Amino acid sequence: MSTTFSRERKIAGWLLSAPLLILLAGLLIWPMYLGFKTSITHDILSEFETYPAGFENYKNLLVEPNFWSSIRFTLIFAAVASVIELTLGLGLALLFDRIFPGKRFLFSLMLIPIMIAPSLMAVMFRLILNENIGIVPGLLSKIGLSYSIFDQSNIFTSLIILDVIEFTAFTFLLSYSALQNMSSEIYEAAAIDGANKRQTLIRITLPILKPALAIVFLLRILDSIRTFDSIYILTGGGPGTSTQTVGIYIYKTAFIYGDFGLAAAAAIVLVLLLTPFMPFIIKQFNLGTESTK
Amino acid sequence: MKRNWGVTAAVSVIVFIFLIPLTGAFYTSLRTDAAIASGPFVWEFDSNWTHYKNALGAAGYDFPSFFRNSIVISLGTVLLTVLVSFPASYAIVRLGFGGPWLLRLALALRITPAIFFVIPFYKLFTAYGLIDRPLGLILANSFINMTLALLVFAGAIKEMPLEIEEAAAVDGASIWMTLRKIVLPLLGPGLAAVGVLTFLFSWSDYLFAVVLTSSEATPVTVGAANFVTSYGVRWGDISAAVCLSILPPLVFATAAQKYLVKGLSSGAVKG
Repeated sequence: MSTTFSRERKIAGWLLSAPLLILLAGLLIWPMYLGFKTSITHDILSEFETYPAGFENYKNLLVEPNFWSSIRFTLIFAAVASVIELTLGLGLALLFDRIFPGKRFLFSLMLIPIMIAPSLMAVMFRLILNENIGIVPGLLSKIGLSYSIFDQSNIFTSLIILDVIEFTAFTFLLSYSALQNMSSEIYEAAAIDGANKRQTLIRITLPILKPALAIVFLLRILDSIRTFDSIYILTGGGPGTSTQTVGIYIYKTAFIYGDFGLAAAAAIVLVLLLTPFMPFIIKQFNLGTESTK
Repeated sequence: MKRNWGVTAAVSVIVFIFLIPLTGAFYTSLRTDAAIASGPFVWEFDSNWTHYKNALGAAGYDFPSFFRNSIVISLGTVLLTVLVSFPASYAIVRLGFGGPWLLRLALALRITPAIFFVIPFYKLFTAYGLIDRPLGLILANSFINMTLALLVFAGAIKEMPLEIEEAAAVDGASIWMTLRKIVLPLLGPGLAAVGVLTFLFSWSDYLFAVVLTSSEATPVTVGAANFVTSYGVRWGDISAAVCLSILPPLVFATAAQKYLVKGLSSGAVKG
């Protein structure tokens, strides 16, 4: 009886997972093989023939300054933007953690940026930042400020501000749900012990939220590393290559300059650079999901 | 209770700042071309919704077809993602299929930047004639969203009381019947969370769309971005097109806000 039962379960397991396994075979294993094959091939769009190139693409990549500067830009951008977004999101979540008129409505409004595609957000930014017709330059010149948003010297700050406007809603939402999961008993106990608001925040709320906040931070960092749409639409990676994220570098190398081999090698090196951190990240996720329950 | 209007005022100002891009675009979409051209603070509004009519076909843009493509791609992705990941997550959680490895793989894939898959997908889809077809983007987006769906479904199934399924098994129900008659109805909230997140993320996709489509299957994200470069002076029409493009996910996600919050915060990783 029990053997037929477990056999039935085994067969059912395979059948239920079959669609997933087919999808993984077709869209994970096969493409990964293709990606690796491309990376060891001399594959340039303008040249008709492709031929095996060994590790030539990887060797070229190691001495390609644009690749490494794009990695550096991506990391700095991700770190700065994520720190600001986490801080603002948490602050806003603490503000929302009170009772005030219109809270539900404002909460819904605050979530709107999450629902807007980053590429569409970038188009709207181009609209409101346009030198001739945009509201923002108009307002700035009205108050007598001259700040050219897309200037070489300002572009990093501008892109950070735009990223913050776009993604703080996300850090806010996750920090807010983490706050809601804290039991009110802890606060009551703190109040009985005579802790003031500030002490409660620093000694109790923040330490308890720490694992959840670590996840939010990791999510933002990982998300920023893959940032492509908004910066590409806003600056195309320029002026020059000064705002080129690693995503933009790979995209341009393949689809603008036509060097598929080099771009495939860059994609693989990017994932190899991330791999050492994977076990740590996965562990953080497991820890965080358990502690917020 | 004391009414905290001070907090309301502070929060309103902050929320307004975050919504400047959206209100700016909406404002522009309502103004006449003459007003737009003569500066941001000329108050002259168009009572005919001209820019919206233009965006929806009156001016001969391809925008209506971009819009259709986005709808087909997003709904197709939701359907395929649910069909693939719901049965698999039941097999993983309740039947022990693949041990802990399939979920760990899902998490690792979630961390892998999508750009990693762009060149392989381009090569694969070129070989199989899937370039510039909605099916290609449905497959690519389903692959990317599948990991999130697996994690959300697995979490939801783990939280379901095992007793009901055991009782059904004692009563002689097969695994299939249990799945259809018991698990699926109980999984409503998880299903809604996966549905709304998958719709949102596939509607938002730009990277795969820009690489895997050229004209026939182009969705609104790529369409709107190209719009800016090719019709750079028609800001009114562009704003209307962008506002229209934002509307479906906005309405859907606001209606399902509870599930959006649940899905995003249940340890699920954003795409």
